[in-house]
Amino acid sequence: MQITLDRAYAMRENWSLNATGTFHEGVHLVSGDVGSGKSTMAMMLAGFYSLSGGSIRRNGINSSVLSPQFPEYLVTGVTISGECASWGIIPDKILEETGLETKKDESPFTLSRGELKRLHLACILAKDYDLLMVDEPFSSLDCKEKAKFCERIGNRTHGITIIFTHEQNILPRVDRIWEIVDGTLIDCGNPPDAFLNWRHLPPIIKRLTDLGSRPDNISFNDLREAECRIRG
Amino acid sequence: MQDPRIRTGIAAVLSFAAFFSLPGAALVFLWWLVFTPGLRLVKKFGRIFSLILMIAFFSLILQIYGGQGLSYFSRMTVIILIGMWVHSEQKSGDFLGMGVWLFGDRLGFEIGMIAEMGMQSLLSVTTDFDRIQISHKIKGIRWGVNSLSSACLLLVSNAIIRAEDSAELLAVRGYHSGGTMCPEFLTRPMDIIGGIFALIILLFALIPFSEFFILYR
Repeated sequence: MQITLDRAYAMRENWSLNATGTFHEGVHLVSGDVGSGKSTMAMMLAGFYSLSGGSIRRNGINSSVLSPQFPEYLVTGVTISGECASWGIIPDKILEETGLETKKDESPFTLSRGELKRLHLACILAKDYDLLMVDEPFSSLDCKEKAKFCERIGNRTHGITIIFTHEQNILPRVDRIWEIVDGTLIDCGNPPDAFLNWRHLPPIIKRLTDLGSRPDNISFNDLREAECRIRG
Repeated sequence: MQDPRIRTGIAAVLSFAAFFSLPGAALVFLWWLVFTPGLRLVKKFGRIFSLILMIAFFSLILQIYGGQGLSYFSRMTVIILIGMWVHSEQKSGDFLGMGVWLFGDRLGFEIGMIAEMGMQSLLSVTTDFDRIQISHKIKGIRWGVNSLSSACLLLVSNAIIRAEDSAELLAVRGYHSGGTMCPEFLTRPMDIIGGIFALIILLFALIPFSEFFILYR
């Protein structure tokens, strides 16, 4: 199972994105500055953005889903319960998980962006997609929710998971790190070796590395373990 | 066409001419071909075909039941083409400027602002619909009666929420009624030529051809 970008090219006025690389099974992190083209790349991979050049090939992928940056874009249900059902899942479990049972008959637009994001992530993660693409999944979430979804996304063992984010603090455990720099997708490699090439290396990892305790990965637990090594 | 006053006037005149008679509709169609980007507009607004199909459906029913379905279809299609042209030329602030120019700072400002908000709402509905289509694809929902009705409900509820937000914003900013504005319009020679031809078409549509021959004699 893999998805390959072969000189996939997107162009807009004064902006372009060039992407080449293969995403194999596992969890991938695509980082980059705000406006670098992460969302466009996610749309390209999902097939919702027409390429100006190159190609994208999918092998062995039978089901895929994209969670866009703004959860409002995904709403198709008139009620919160209906919104859960629109994902083809039984609403009760999701409503209980997200703590929205009492609001099930209300419009999804009465929820805050954080609540809506939580609802959509819960719906998306309730299914095992072959290709899961999440664009800024941690935006609008509080630290506790970020940590919870990091764990769930990082623990996915099935298929390809691609996380597009500029988040620097709370991240899941990943298998490969990519970044977009000056309109080009760069493969930084597997952690921890990827830290040597990663221009968007989070400051906390840089500090730990400088102190001689390089973490094995980028998750909270890996950072804590590296911190503990320093303290003995 | 730069001047929104002439553009709106032309749209009103031509729509009336096209609706009034079939020869009028034919002349309006010719005007549309000469003074607008024509088929390039149709390509840009591909969604217009669904509207034309809907009119074709009602025209067919009218024709079957002995009405003038074909004539109705032709006249309405030409009116849609004119509407499409007006919409493509519309710029933000046109209605507000025109409202103030026509009826002054109080009533004109109100009417203009309501029209601007209406246009904005229409644009938002189009954007919403595009997003809903993508959401359906992401969720693997096939279009059917259920999905269409939920999409319609969503469009309506979004429009109501946006209207509430706008009302709240106006209230918070202390809006009561009217406003001050000095509208400026740019009139090009082609605007005037297009306007003159539109008026000629209206005359042709209102006065039967036979009357012209009487005048000639």
